[in-house]
Amino acid sequence: MRVALFRWKAIGPLLLVGVVGVGSWLVFADRIAKATAQAVGTTLVGARVEIDRLHLDLPHGRVELRGLTVASPFEALENLLQADALVADIDPLPLLEKKVVIDRLAATGLRFGTPRLTDGRTGGRSDGVMGQVTRWGEQLQVPALALPTGTINIDRLDPGQLNTPRAAAALAARADSARLTWEAGLRGLDVTATVDTAKHLAERLRGAKATDVRLLGDARRALEQVKRAQERVLGLERSVAAGAAALQGGVAGLADAKQRDYALARGLLKLPGLDAPDIGAALFGPAAVDRFQRALYWVQLGRRYMPPGLLPRATPGPSRARRAGMTVRFPRAHVEPAFLLRTAELSVELGAGGAAPRTYAARLSDVTTDPTLHGRPATASASAPGFRLGAVLDHVRATPRDTVAASLVGVALPPLRLPSLPLRIEPGSGTVALSFALQGDQVRARWTMQSDRVRWVRDSGAAASATGDVIWRVVSAIATLEVSASLTGSLTHPRLGVSSNVDRAIADRLRALLGAELAAAERRVRAQVDSLVDGQVAPVLAQVEALGGDVTGRLGGQRAQLDDARKALEQRLRELTRLPGVRLP
Amino acid sequence: MLVLKLIQSPIKTLHSEGTPGQVAAGIALGSILGLTPLLNLHNAVVFALIVVLNVSFPAAMLGWALFVPVGFLFDPAFDTIGRALLLGTPALRPLWTTLDNAAVAPLTNFNNTVVLGSLVCSLVFWLPLFFAARRGVVRYRATVADRIRHSRLYRAVAASKLYTVYRLFRPEP
Repeated sequence: MRVALFRWKAIGPLLLVGVVGVGSWLVFADRIAKATAQAVGTTLVGARVEIDRLHLDLPHGRVELRGLTVASPFEALENLLQADALVADIDPLPLLEKKVVIDRLAATGLRFGTPRLTDGRTGGRSDGVMGQVTRWGEQLQVPALALPTGTINIDRLDPGQLNTPRAAAALAARADSARLTWEAGLRGLDVTATVDTAKHLAERLRGAKATDVRLLGDARRALEQVKRAQERVLGLERSVAAGAAALQGGVAGLADAKQRDYALARGLLKLPGLDAPDIGAALFGPAAVDRFQRALYWVQLGRRYMPPGLLPRATPGPSRARRAGMTVRFPRAHVEPAFLLRTAELSVELGAGGAAPRTYAARLSDVTTDPTLHGRPATASASAPGFRLGAVLDHVRATPRDTVAASLVGVALPPLRLPSLPLRIEPGSGTVALSFALQGDQVRARWTMQSDRVRWVRDSGAAASATGDVIWRVVSAIATLEVSASLTGSLTHPRLGVSSNVDRAIADRLRALLGAELAAAERRVRAQVDSLVDGQVAPVLAQVEALGGDVTGRLGGQRAQLDDARKALEQRLRELTRLPGVRLP
Repeated sequence: MLVLKLIQSPIKTLHSEGTPGQVAAGIALGSILGLTPLLNLHNAVVFALIVVLNVSFPAAMLGWALFVPVGFLFDPAFDTIGRALLLGTPALRPLWTTLDNAAVAPLTNFNNTVVLGSLVCSLVFWLPLFFAARRGVVRYRATVADRIRHSRLYRAVAASKLYTVYRLFRPEP
């Protein structure tokens, strides 16, 4: 029996299913696009992205978003930004290739740092880019300012941590090795036999005749032996001198190691030095690190989602009941990027010092997931009275270069809590500036904050201490605040420097207040180091000293014997050759 | 009752409706729906084939239902295979690059490791599954079908009104 291949009567129902599918798309497209945009945005930012309404108008190539809210990935109850409306003119054809090309985006009513009712952060502090940035910040090691409340306590010094005993043991081993080498060299010289031979021949020459050619030949050979022995002694002397100098270098190294041990022991005082930079780092370091971490977070997000090059890119697949897998993109030269925002014009609302918010214009351009394809760096700029922003994310070439600079004048600065001190600064209205440049792995950043009307608030619940009172008297008289923090080096080994007018004032007062006590504490820890170290260092120093003197003395004695023997031989030979009419063969 | 109605048509199909080849083709096509993540463009094509080709529709639904858990079970393997094809085979990279930058093809999500791995596996095993299913249907009808047909459960299932709807997609002789 022959079976028909097609079931023609099912074409109708199939078309009906197709029509129902298209109808469903028309009804639910906005919701699907909204859910997709929220999910993608949330994944990108690392915090909840919410959209009140999204309308797709594909025939006119337009997408409208109303009520966009992006939660802050850093603060629990704060939004990163809110926008009243975003209208995007999109190119419909690339959508068939699953690419989004936005020719122009207009955003109105952008507000930053608005409060929210629920925590919008989606990832933990240890996840993804946030985790990387958190771990990076932890390596910056801001010193803790522990103000003494009475006597300065010293932690127990662990002898195993000290450098000097290890250096002393190494030096002793080197001295032993040198001693063995030099003694072997001394034995190898065999000076005594040479000297005895020379003396014996000199005696025989005393009564010899100038015609005793054989004796004269023996005397000359003995003289040559003496000269060679002298050269060997000289060579060994040079070697001993060099070795002794190296051992003296080791002795100097012991002194350096001891200094390091003193520094290590000083660290047990749990106080930064009374230098202003240390105090500045202790007071304002956490705030500076927080700013740099935020800048680095956005730059690293840019590098993750806008990587240079055209290699395949794997990202986690869509969330679904089945396994998500990885979705791999394969960029190709001379085609549209997967995402491109050509230009965006933003209307930004900024409040200045509590005044009514004013509207400023900002601009974004060339934001793309494939900078190498697009060939132009992403830029952002905004300029208004008292406000400047510029950013360039250049991922076109293999080594990405990211630069961000922003400054705000007359803006309400957030309060700063000073670590380890029962104090809070309310800077009021002031100027804040941040520049952050990351070229490859090399970072160069600066954060400054200035305010002319600082208000100091003392924690009423904190326990009173003499030092705390002194610091309160110092800082409460300071009306201005100038903080400057810099970050240099590589991302793997960054260096943080912080200075401020406050730390200089505090340093001066602390130095006066604590100088004597700290000096006494330092003397105690130095004595502790000395007691642990000196017993091991002294024998080594004596060993090195004795070794040099002993070998040098023995070499000197042997050289003197050789000199005497040589003089005697040469004297006898000259006397014999001075006889008239006699020519030595 | 609904469950009974849902299983009515596949059971009837196994017993008398359609040739073993039509039933086996339906099961094999349905297996693609079950093995690969459902909401993808290629499954719309597979569904259209199931409807338009003269294969057993209930058998396709049976194949789908049977292979959904298999798909979940083998997802790690599909992921590995897809990863190897997409990232571990440089010779295929020009093909993926062309597809990824062509119209419509990216909408199939072929560049997802699980989608590609499961689709490739379901296509590779399509023919073996077809022949195995055909053999299985023949043996079933020759051995236990009569006993099942006379069972009380079968008669209860066969009496359902869903049979009327089922007739629309019954394989044509």
